[in-house]
Amino acid sequence: MGRFSSIRVLLCFAVPPRCKGTVVAMSTSPPPRYRNNAWREHPLWNWVGLVPFFLFIFLFLIIPSLNLFTGAFVTNKGFFTLENLSVFRNPLVLKAYMTSLQVSLLTAVIGGLFGFFVAAAITLGHPPRWMRSLIMTFSGLAANFGGVPLAFAFIATLGRTGFVTALLKEVCFPGPDGTQICPFNPYDHGFSLYSLTGLVLAYTYFQFPLMVLTITPALEGMRKEWREAAANLGASTWQYWRDIALPVLTPSILGASILLFGNAFGAYATAQALTGGSIPLVTIFVGQQIRGDVLGNPHEGYAMAMGMVVVMAITIVAYSMLQRQASRWMKV
Amino acid sequence: MKAQQINWWAIFWIVLAALYFLLPMYGTLDFSLRMERNTISLKAYEIVFADPRFWRGFQYSTLMALITIVVSIILFVPTVYWMYLKVPQARPIMEIITILPFVIPTIVYVFGLIRTFSRPPFQLTLHAFTTDMLIVAGYVVISMPFMFRAIDVGMRALDVRTLTEAAQSLGSNWFQVLVYVIVPNLRVAILSGALISFATVMGELILASFLVRPALAPYMALLGLTKAYEPAALAIISYALTWFSLGLLQIVSQGGTTRQLTGR
Amino acid sequence: MTHLELSHIRKAFGAAVVVEDFNLAVNQGEFISFLGPSGCGKTTTLRMIAGFELPTAGTITIDGNDLTNTPPNKRNVGMVFQSYALFPNMTVAHNVGYGLKITSKSKAEIMQRVHEMLALIQMEEFAQRYPFQLSGGQQQRVALARALAIRPQLLLLDEPLSALDAKIRLELRHEIRRIQRQLGITTIYVTHDQEEALSLSDRIVVMSKGKIEQVGTPTEIYNAPATEFVARFVGHINLLPVTVLNPTDGVISLGRQTLRAGRFGKLNGRPVQLAVRPEEINLGAKPDTNTLSGEVESVTYLGSIVRIGLRIEHHPLSLDVFNEHTLKLPRIGETHTIHFPVNACWLIEKSD
Ligand SMILES: Nc1ncnc2c1ncn2[C@@H]1O[C@H](COP(=O)(O)OP(=O)(O)OP(=O)(O)O)[C@@H](O)[C@H]1O
Ligand SMILES: [Mg+2]
Repeated sequence: MGRFSSIRVLLCFAVPPRCKGTVVAMSTSPPPRYRNNAWREHPLWNWVGLVPFFLFIFLFLIIPSLNLFTGAFVTNKGFFTLENLSVFRNPLVLKAYMTSLQVSLLTAVIGGLFGFFVAAAITLGHPPRWMRSLIMTFSGLAANFGGVPLAFAFIATLGRTGFVTALLKEVCFPGPDGTQICPFNPYDHGFSLYSLTGLVLAYTYFQFPLMVLTITPALEGMRKEWREAAANLGASTWQYWRDIALPVLTPSILGASILLFGNAFGAYATAQALTGGSIPLVTIFVGQQIRGDVLGNPHEGYAMAMGMVVVMAITIVAYSMLQRQASRWMKV
Repeated sequence: MKAQQINWWAIFWIVLAALYFLLPMYGTLDFSLRMERNTISLKAYEIVFADPRFWRGFQYSTLMALITIVVSIILFVPTVYWMYLKVPQARPIMEIITILPFVIPTIVYVFGLIRTFSRPPFQLTLHAFTTDMLIVAGYVVISMPFMFRAIDVGMRALDVRTLTEAAQSLGSNWFQVLVYVIVPNLRVAILSGALISFATVMGELILASFLVRPALAPYMALLGLTKAYEPAALAIISYALTWFSLGLLQIVSQGGTTRQLTGR
Repeated sequence: MTHLELSHIRKAFGAAVVVEDFNLAVNQGEFISFLGPSGCGKTTTLRMIAGFELPTAGTITIDGNDLTNTPPNKRNVGMVFQSYALFPNMTVAHNVGYGLKITSKSKAEIMQRVHEMLALIQMEEFAQRYPFQLSGGQQQRVALARALAIRPQLLLLDEPLSALDAKIRLELRHEIRRIQRQLGITTIYVTHDQEEALSLSDRIVVMSKGKIEQVGTPTEIYNAPATEFVARFVGHINLLPVTVLNPTDGVISLGRQTLRAGRFGKLNGRPVQLAVRPEEINLGAKPDTNTLSGEVESVTYLGSIVRIGLRIEHHPLSLDVFNEHTLKLPRIGETHTIHFPVNACWLIEKSD
């Protein structure tokens, strides 16, 4: 659960039936009564109704964010400084950023590819209807499932005493000298759930369903006629995918990737609960910094947190540039 | 062409996905039932349900979730309504603002919240009550992307201007239009937003954990450090809770569609 | 010279037979229309020719080569879809040139052909536009150019105009015919619009429930429909149940009134109907014609013509008169005499 729920928001555009409201049709609209108050005609008056919202946002979103920013650029005494940025020269911090980026990219790619194939299977593969709705329902659930319970679930499944581990352990053969050989115990091969690999496996649990949810509408939008027109002009299936299907899907794939990346980059609870903070992700680091001052200077913590926002901002700018390029052919 | 023959390639991916979904769920369920040696029992669940801290966390999270939903509705419904009616040009700004909580990682956001509200002039973290106020504000922000968009989409399906003008011509004032005309027409959208907010708050770890409030998720995390079977039982309970909210959402949104088809 | 030949084509989706015993020989350069009501299997037949559906039975040959099992991308058959189906991610020029790119033609050659095709559809200045920047009519012209660019042996069009508005439809209809004549390409055109079929085609294939009802030139289809279905489907027609009095010279009776049919096949005692088009019938009496009288039931203005409905011996009959300024319209309730030439009516067997 946790922050992953908010992801569904972005799906709202893509999955309209989930967000449908009620439609009321009015055939006639009697003329409204206007009072003649000149001051009400002023364009600024129109914004008055948004004041409570902006006040709330200002107080609980803008100020805290700005505070981090300013915090990153002042000393303990409140003077301006760039000193705090030296935290980015700290190899531990750099390592944390690298690990976070690595995990985010890796799970975005793995979850993205896996999710794409699953989505393609349920749309283009024309499976029985019940399989399709089963996958969609589970995706809605799993994309919203993260954090502490997910970690427990994976521990119970792939942990040292997990149920899949136990199953794999028990696959044994009699060896040539009469002893039993059990070659499939993952823990004999350097696997550990409490490592990066385990983290990637756990993240994939919510990453690929998110991909399924975001990309399915795009795949549904692929018109059968495009494929037929391409075949008609002599294109093979591969040529169709290369020249038409993938270019048409690229904007959606880009959008989904950014979602997956951000989703993994900001994740904290799963990693914390699974590895107890032994894998140095930026989020874990920031968490430790909030708990107690591990860096020795709280302002360096702010710089670190700000760095995350900067990473997200850069990603989004890069994304929108790519997106503009990829969606030239789309009506705005 | 290959009309309705079964596509094994598709079945392969679907089965793989189903395994990925189900194995951890099954593993957890199985594990949670094995607290007593060599027998299946509900011992772990009994222990969890007997733990007052669990009920405290559950109660606290539920209460916070409900307050969050109420505040969100009071804050966002009039705002979106006003935006549609008076300042449609505000939409791009509103969209950027409401997506911000998604761009700013929650852990970073909570850091900013603590820095801002743990000292004057807005010191809120001293007392439990004011901290709860702060935590609700945080929940509202975190669930804003969903809540806002749900209401936005619902409102888009309404002809807000015509409805308002019609109601006004019948003598309603702003408040009456909002409460008696707009809100009833938005109930499906509001409900779906509310259910997602509910699921979000019930599972939220970061805010409650760093603001040190007795919510459900921190309790789970704490339990996970010391126990083995109870966390698995908790994971199943939490899975059921998410399932329940989202299932309800499915029903609600489908109910909405049917009502729509029958012309209300 | 037979170019395309369909023989004994049958197509079933599960238990539903959609096309049955379909036989057709199309000559080189011919323009053939498939005409029929919705769901009669026109699209399915066309898609079998294109290779998107595999016939359950029967063969499809082009110039004697059996193509029945050839995949669509090896058939060299151009197809234009009802929904245009332009590739949204490609410009007009790239869309038109795509088929050539697939066959690895040189850049210069592709460019030259694209220009040629765009000139043909008079859209040279749109080469760099994306499909979303074009109107429906323009998109369909591009789709036509794209299908023709690969110099297909056969051009297939599936209701290419039905998504367009009336004026563009008329314009584009002529354009399609002009281009088809200019290139001399064998064409199959699917439509459920009889006016389109009549005005465009060399021959029309009228279909019903997966079977061919009649194949013939527009004149044959209109003036001598072979079955009741064709007669009813194409144009407006009066069908009056009559009794044959003399099977050798076509003397028949309608209630108490006696008439003669101009054309009639072998009369084998089955119930027959007298078919006559409304435009062949005139008000008043005239010697040496079939003359009937009945009560006027309705008078409807249709612009250039006025349609008058009568009831003759309990059967409805309509006749069209030109809306000339000298026209004196009958009034509802009046009894009028009407006549039509013996040659303008014929007998059709009643279908079950
Ligand atoms: N893939 C399919 N599976 C099952 N039935 C099909 C399939 N494709 C077409 N049919 C059925 O075959 C029949 C003929 O369809 P077809 O599309 O050829 O009709 P049509 O003459 O082109 O009609 P229209 O004028 O509406 O386009 C219809 O009853 C349709 O339901
Ligand atoms: Mg059709």
